[in-house]
Amino acid sequence: MAHHLEASRNSCALHGALQLFEAIDGVVPVIHSTSGCGVQHYLGVTRLSGGNDTFGSPPVSSSNIKQKHVVFGGGSRLREQLKNTVKVVQGDLYAIVTGCSTEMVGDDIPAMAKEGRDQEWPVIYTNTPGFGGDVHHGYHLAVKALIEQLPDIVKSQEKIPSGLINIWGIIPNQDPFWRGNLQEVGRLLEGIGLVPNLLLGSGQNVASWQRVPGALLNLVISPWGEFPARLLEERYATPSITFEGVPVGTAASILLRRLTEQLELDPIRTEAFITREELRLNQQFARLVDTYYRAGFQREFALVGESAQVIGIGEFLVKSFGLLPRTLVITDNPSESIREALDSRLTTILPGYHTDVLFSEDKSEIADVVRAGEPGIILGSSLEHCLALELGVPFLALSFPLFDRIVLERAYAGYRGAAVLLEDLGSAMIAGSKYINEAS
Amino acid sequence: MSLKQGKHIAIYGKGGIGKSTTTSNISAALADAGYRVIQIGCDPKSDSTTILRGGNDLPTVLDTLREQSKVRLEDISAVGFGGVLCIEAGGPVPGVGCAGRGINAAVEQLQELHVFDEFKPDFVLYDVLGDVVCGGFAVPIRDGLADRAFVVTSSDFMSIFAANNLFKAVNKYAPSGGARLGGIIANSILAAYAPALIDDFAGKTGTHVIGYVPRSLVVAQSELYGKTVIEAAPQSEQAQVYRNLAKYIDENEESVIPKPLNSPELKKWAREWGDRIFEVETGVVHEMASI
Repeated sequence: MAHHLEASRNSCALHGALQLFEAIDGVVPVIHSTSGCGVQHYLGVTRLSGGNDTFGSPPVSSSNIKQKHVVFGGGSRLREQLKNTVKVVQGDLYAIVTGCSTEMVGDDIPAMAKEGRDQEWPVIYTNTPGFGGDVHHGYHLAVKALIEQLPDIVKSQEKIPSGLINIWGIIPNQDPFWRGNLQEVGRLLEGIGLVPNLLLGSGQNVASWQRVPGALLNLVISPWGEFPARLLEERYATPSITFEGVPVGTAASILLRRLTEQLELDPIRTEAFITREELRLNQQFARLVDTYYRAGFQREFALVGESAQVIGIGEFLVKSFGLLPRTLVITDNPSESIREALDSRLTTILPGYHTDVLFSEDKSEIADVVRAGEPGIILGSSLEHCLALELGVPFLALSFPLFDRIVLERAYAGYRGAAVLLEDLGSAMIAGSKYINEAS
Repeated sequence: MSLKQGKHIAIYGKGGIGKSTTTSNISAALADAGYRVIQIGCDPKSDSTTILRGGNDLPTVLDTLREQSKVRLEDISAVGFGGVLCIEAGGPVPGVGCAGRGINAAVEQLQELHVFDEFKPDFVLYDVLGDVVCGGFAVPIRDGLADRAFVVTSSDFMSIFAANNLFKAVNKYAPSGGARLGGIIANSILAAYAPALIDDFAGKTGTHVIGYVPRSLVVAQSELYGKTVIEAAPQSEQAQVYRNLAKYIDENEESVIPKPLNSPELKKWAREWGDRIFEVETGVVHEMASI
């Protein structure tokens, strides 16, 4: 039966595309839509992900079309906006994204982008009406636009480094820890002699995207990275490796060994790196043991987030930290194939233990399922904060929307991310617990 | 909009079927009978009222919206034959923008200008673009703007198809205060079977035909002079046909919610008529058929 959706966490395609473009240095997005789209992007997305991006606030360029542009077509307004944007904001690439109204009207966006290119402006475009799909679809569209249009616009003479690996599937802001997570995944790849192409975040620019076709391999770390990998396989015959979920803790070792095997890297070097990293992480575990038992860390948890987070973080909490996965909620509507990964890595590994799994982005439905599971701690978005207060259990905000903590460089991916996760989770557990009273 | 002035009538039909000619002649006949009439062309082609105005240029409502200048009623209207106030909604050039939204915007603009309060019409006729292809073109029959809709159709199947689509739109909006159907105007009647075919369609959809307009040279000739038949050939039989239509619209308040045929029903109905026409043309005589 149809029912209303409360506090959806998946914004629209326009925002997904904007988030990608904003995360690349030198890319200037230009919205062709009504004024609300840009404002909503700020209010509903960038402001709710631990901090803002350069254009993730009202200054984003927008054609702000009015009724006359709907009736007579908004092409000329876009032409004017593009011209003004190029004058006012210096960029290496201008990316047009469109909203619902201009797509309903059928404005000829490719023609406008071509006009810009005829003026020697580097312009790409993507048609991103919100009715076409959600934020994840928008990420796909923007990636597609870059892969397909960039080679015709900016010619690169740069030599591609050998062992270059493109990383796909982390959507800026939709994963509030995207910057840190990408950095840590990059560090892992460097550790075994590869050259990561992070593509997004500080220092990543149009040149990074120009290197994409020359990569040795595409690394997919969420269901949303499968589409770019497929696209690149078709265009450039680049192979890919899919690793469902952000690798946290020892999952990183599995990923590194798979890469080493597939790319025929030096296994001795890889094992040395893994040993060093795991030893360091184990030392952190050892330091935590006393508090772990005194404060009763081992308990049932509820985890609410995108599939890549739930699988990555959930697997670590269960396999390495001994917590019990009472309720898992996947909010990003991934394809059913993600269930296989969930089952093999998470829900069936504890014999006789039942885990509730829910695919939903509806706040009240999520609350009902989490409440029924009576978890000992909740990990989710800031929307679950009140629920944790209601149930009187510790809470850690780690998924979108995230508006009750600041995230700048923090990561939960890799070995270092695992240690950070332990710090945050442990702190949440002991805050307000009896353990504090005993200690003081 | 304040209290509605006059009777508001929307006239629909497939493109090229003769809506504007029919509407203009009805407007002319109503004006000739002493009524105050406004005719609003709701078609981006902006040629609804041409034969009422002798073919002179008239800036459209949407042209003024585009310019964003202060709009006055006299800028967007012209007084045509018999004092009919002619207005063209206008629209974008083909292939650009959204004409449907244009109709919406033009109607809003007219309401802001208080056209109906100022002019105090007895009749307002909306001449609306062919098929009801999207929500925008249904604006005149939504929200209680027009009280009644009439559809102009010939005996061509595509024209009947468009009429059936309008019935669907009326059927959808009428229960919530939209216009009801006043009836069918059978136009371009030439073939002997045409009235029977249109009558049969009316019967099947719970509607009725309010008049049959024969195909006539007088209409073509008058149009070439940039005039309505009422003006160019007032004594002609054709003029009387239009006067009768105007009289019906004036005196008759009857309206229904039509029962449109669904797609298989319409196809089946059309095929049956195809067979019948074939038999008539080839002289097949059925048993017991009265000749």
